[in-house]
Amino acid sequence: MKFFQHNWTKVLIAYHRFAGSWAWILHRITGIALTGYIMLHIIALSSLQKHKIDNGKAFNEEMALFSSPFFLFLEWLLFAFVIFHSLNGIRIVLIDFANGARYQKKLHYAVLTIGIIAFLVMGYVIFSHQLNESTAFLFSPTNK
Amino acid sequence: MSYKHLGSRNSGAPGWLFQRITGIVLIVAMVGHYILMHYTPSSGHEFASTFERMQNPLWKIFYLTFVVIGLYHGLNGIWGIVRDFKMKRWISVTILGVLIIAGISFATLGFMNVLVF
Repeated sequence: MKFFQHNWTKVLIAYHRFAGSWAWILHRITGIALTGYIMLHIIALSSLQKHKIDNGKAFNEEMALFSSPFFLFLEWLLFAFVIFHSLNGIRIVLIDFANGARYQKKLHYAVLTIGIIAFLVMGYVIFSHQLNESTAFLFSPTNK
Repeated sequence: MSYKHLGSRNSGAPGWLFQRITGIVLIVAMVGHYILMHYTPSSGHEFASTFERMQNPLWKIFYLTFVVIGLYHGLNGIWGIVRDFKMKRWISVTILGVLIIAGISFATLGFMNVLVF
């Protein structure tokens, strides 16, 4: 196949066709996103530095905002990035140290399967507390 | 044909190995982090429990390590991506400088968040 490097669309179409190449590009995208997130995370937690003045009020207000359904949804999406990067990271370690190049395609589909299941389970874990709180009045007659 | 004198003097092997080691450490730490923050949300999202946890020096050491390892893994990963592209030397040196400065400043901010307790 002829390969013109100045034609970037052609390069992109030609390259990302195999399981391994998708894993590779997704690992990079999620990695860059997670690096951006850890920086945001550190900035967000700097509200803890005021705790000697306001006894944690700023932190609690911030966490109340982060516990709203919109932010819980964002955290769920974040978990998709985390779980893919973690599982594909295990795949990379197996490729490098455990002869995984021989079964990397199987590993890729295992990563996707386990990842999707873990994503759904984490959706339940994240939202169950909210659901329990918002539907608690149905089960406790004292609130009526 | 010997490629010994054609490439970079830095093979990148230590960075490659540290990336694997820190990655495995981060997976283990991340499981605990998710249990703490999402399985039992009150242990991570209320100041009182955070304050109590931070009285224990072992938790402080854990978070300091977490910040350093997380930032190192992320920024070293970005540096690995940058090294995949051919670019002028001054551009790659500038990017490396930006990454190192970002790492040091965010690690300092993270250390301040932990050591304020």
